[in-house]
Amino acid sequence: MSNYIPTIGVEVHVELKTNTKIFSNSTNGYGEMANSLTNVIDLGYPGTLPTLNKEVLNLAIKAATVLNCKIRREMHFDRKNYFYPDNSKNYQITQSRTPIGYDGYVEIEVNGVKKRIEIEEMHIEEDTCKSTHRGTKTLLDFNRAGVPLIEIVTKPCMASGEEAKAYLEKLRELLFYSDISDCKIEEGSMRADANVSIRKNESDPFGTKAEIKNIGSITNVGISIEKEIERQSKLYDNGETFKPQTRRYDDKIGDTVLMRVKETGNDYRYFPEPDIPFVYVTDEMIERVVATIPMLPDERRKLYIEKGVPEVNANKIVQNRSLSDYFNELLEENTNFKIASNLLLGDIAAYLNKEEKLITETTLTKDRFLELIKNMEDNTLTSKNLKDILNKILEDTSSISDIIKSSGIENITDDSAIRDVVRKVIEANPGSVEDYKTGHDRAIKFLMGQVMKESKGSANPKMAMDILVEELQ
Amino acid sequence: MKYLNKSVLELHELLKEKKIKPIDLVEEAFENIEANKELNAYITLNKEEALKQAKELEDKEVDNVLFGMPIAIKDNIVTKDLLTTCASHMLDNFTPIYNATVIDKIKEKNMIIIGKTNMDEFAMGSTSRTSYFGAPLNPWNKEKISGGSSGGSAVTIAARDLPFALGSDTGGSIRQPSSYCGIVGMKPTYGRVSRYGLIAFASSMDQIGPMTKNVYENALLLNAIVGKDDKDLTSAEKEPEDFARLIGQDIKGMKIAVPNYFMSDIVTKEVKEKIEETIELLKNAGATVDYVDMKYLDQAVTLYQVIALGEASSNLARFDGIRYGFSAENPKNIKDVYFKTRQEGFGTEVKRRIMVGAYILSGDNAKVYYNKAMSVRAAMRDEFKRIYKDYDLIIGPTATTTAYNQTDSIDDPLKSFMDDVLVNPANMAGLPGLNVPVGFDSSNLPIGMHIIGNDFDEAKMYQLASYIEKTLDLNLTPGGEK
Amino acid sequence: MDDKLSREEVLHVAELARIAISESELEKYQIQLKQIIDSVDKIKEVEVDDDKMLIANWSKETTLREDECGEMLSPKDVINNAPRHSGNYIEVPVVIGEES
Repeated sequence: MSNYIPTIGVEVHVELKTNTKIFSNSTNGYGEMANSLTNVIDLGYPGTLPTLNKEVLNLAIKAATVLNCKIRREMHFDRKNYFYPDNSKNYQITQSRTPIGYDGYVEIEVNGVKKRIEIEEMHIEEDTCKSTHRGTKTLLDFNRAGVPLIEIVTKPCMASGEEAKAYLEKLRELLFYSDISDCKIEEGSMRADANVSIRKNESDPFGTKAEIKNIGSITNVGISIEKEIERQSKLYDNGETFKPQTRRYDDKIGDTVLMRVKETGNDYRYFPEPDIPFVYVTDEMIERVVATIPMLPDERRKLYIEKGVPEVNANKIVQNRSLSDYFNELLEENTNFKIASNLLLGDIAAYLNKEEKLITETTLTKDRFLELIKNMEDNTLTSKNLKDILNKILEDTSSISDIIKSSGIENITDDSAIRDVVRKVIEANPGSVEDYKTGHDRAIKFLMGQVMKESKGSANPKMAMDILVEELQ
Repeated sequence: MKYLNKSVLELHELLKEKKIKPIDLVEEAFENIEANKELNAYITLNKEEALKQAKELEDKEVDNVLFGMPIAIKDNIVTKDLLTTCASHMLDNFTPIYNATVIDKIKEKNMIIIGKTNMDEFAMGSTSRTSYFGAPLNPWNKEKISGGSSGGSAVTIAARDLPFALGSDTGGSIRQPSSYCGIVGMKPTYGRVSRYGLIAFASSMDQIGPMTKNVYENALLLNAIVGKDDKDLTSAEKEPEDFARLIGQDIKGMKIAVPNYFMSDIVTKEVKEKIEETIELLKNAGATVDYVDMKYLDQAVTLYQVIALGEASSNLARFDGIRYGFSAENPKNIKDVYFKTRQEGFGTEVKRRIMVGAYILSGDNAKVYYNKAMSVRAAMRDEFKRIYKDYDLIIGPTATTTAYNQTDSIDDPLKSFMDDVLVNPANMAGLPGLNVPVGFDSSNLPIGMHIIGNDFDEAKMYQLASYIEKTLDLNLTPGGEK
Repeated sequence: MDDKLSREEVLHVAELARIAISESELEKYQIQLKQIIDSVDKIKEVEVDDDKMLIANWSKETTLREDECGEMLSPKDVINNAPRHSGNYIEVPVVIGEES
């Protein structure tokens, strides 16, 4: 297909991680009993007025910073008027004239090619309540009403589902790392809509737009956009046109389906919110917020690789925030970072997964970890032995060397002891010795295995190999 | 026994000396209201609770001048556990589960809420005739309108049912009925009084204010209800002050401006002459009174129509029959819930204003009308500020006429706006405005003077108003002795 | 200039305002809304600096609220005032496929 040029813009709503709602002091929570997290403000009772949560402004400033946006210093809110049962006042308080962030960008990489995704604007607004459809009724739960959101709107600058997917992954990583949002798509704390159009040539005007709403996962964003490009291409190929429309992605059929054709533009009757005076963002506020931004994923990856961590490991560590924070603590130390990363992503990760623990919930302090790395590096401890004592390492507080000693699996580093074992093995396997001498390299691996077996895995592998080669001469 | 014809200070002394009890005042207020039932000043009476509260107060120390005083509350101010209807079918079964901040404040003073007063539906009107519960009647002449929208509060004060009432003023709704009923009504500076719990009409203009039979008592009630409120971001942060502190001081050297527009042909001859007489009085007392030209005043009604109705169409969107209030019976679908609830729940004036508001904000109209109006509004405020560089206060008539017949202009959609032509500008500029009675027309209907102050200059307005009140010494009790 | 709005114009604003209107009301509104709108139209003629705008006479900037939880309503309070409810939920006739 595609002899068309696709143009894609993405709008993302992200719920902010605050204690309370944006315009009232009721709890911002998920999964609680229906209508148990509300007050008269959230419900739009007559006479009630909004107040503005300081933390919302802080997190929005933070988001604007990590998204490289310019930050507006004087702003107000606006009312977006539309009737809908999930909208308690039948207007939503949002920012249309003065979004807090504008002219930002996020850098993505698709198939080794870097690209800047430009962010048109990001603004603060309130979430609506949650509707559940049951037969002829719709049930309303206002716990979500008034949860703070930021909406991030890109320019129509993406050219494929892959790019959109990469953008969303990047966005999620950034917002999650900066403690702005949980970014849990399945719980609705991050929601994406995509606008898709195609055209024949770069010089043509943009084609008719279809908006794909509320896509359930980042993967599906990629798929649904590709499907939509395919659908539009077929229509144009057949000489057909279509009206601007809203579609949704149906996971079961793996394609987008029509929700409604957009008639004339929505008439939201925006006007400035008179209940909330101007909000000013000062240098001090920005400085204070910026100081709380932790090292971001890109920088972490770069540092890890510089320290000798394989790229694949670096990426994996960054995917796990607590592991990455833990790893960052090591960076100033002089240690073997490759081994450190292998340890963390291998047996330790498996343990953490199984026990449903964070690395910080184990007894593996930085010093003990450094000791562990050292023991691995000088072969005092083998991978096999590590498995036997891992639980102790992660649950005890005694030093690694004490654990190794008391476990009786201390590496045999005594030359004569190893030599005894090696000689025994050579004696018992004359065939393999012969094979080795006639140039069959594989034989030495077999013999080495026998040495380790005979020593119950406790021989220092490097020493054992050296002695084996020596004895075979 | 009759106590409520006495001044609040006298009553306070009697209460302090335990010569009377709060319940005496409460019972008398209910007797008065019962005797004046025909005036239809109230939508809901709070009798049981008020008597209970009065009893409870007997054991408490009389610690402030408002202690035990009966007060009436306009029915668009939310009262916990007490029906709050906004004079609308939409809320005729609405019992709030929270209090407006002003209610908390008067309760702190141990004032006793006697009832909720009649008004124009959702405060939309200038006659109180749009009330779902029928219009209140003017105590000076029952054929006449009370004015509005705070008609019930003005009527109950004029009729001397009780000493205190709260009203609300979006485009003149405290001052204009105060003028028609011959009482003192203050719309404070925007932000002076918390709007939390005032059912919003036009959020950028609404203010709650005191309505009383005299200036001093008005200042006392204002003292009690002002202050920054964490629940209202638009409430102002100001040092506490006694608004009565300048009352009694002479007005020599005070500089007063009279905008020519306020004394133009839009005002009837009788009203104009009475204002001119009062102006002479002020000059004689040593005040400077200059007639001045002010731009944009003639735009106030237009501005009001754009901004107030635009905001109102949004503010009243929440009345949809889903979370509270009236809901149309047996809706077939969600459309019915909205369309029928709002068709049946709102009266004609409200629906008309909401639709005009929606029109004004719709599509490109928002730019043509709303943005333009905000610019004119800024210019109007600048114009006021220009005058206040040289003058202390601005005065003029409160209303262009005296109270007119209940049956006049009932179906004229523009009349109610025009009634407020002189009082709208203060709301537009966010300035305080006050009505003080200055005399009567040939039919013995009250005429009021309007005093507009600079931002947060209420004390000076009371100073001038009390001078006028004292000097004129009018008999302001309808059909009776003072 | 027409002395009334068209039926479509009135129906459009009624739709925006979610107010059902009867045939007789429609005719009345065609005239009355037009009267008010004509009056409002005068604003277009006013000469003024368009850059300045007054949203409200705010005396100060927004004071930000600390992010601390306060009292909330019980689900019972929430549904008690609602005309239609089911369990802890407020209920409306089914809403699907419209804008959100």
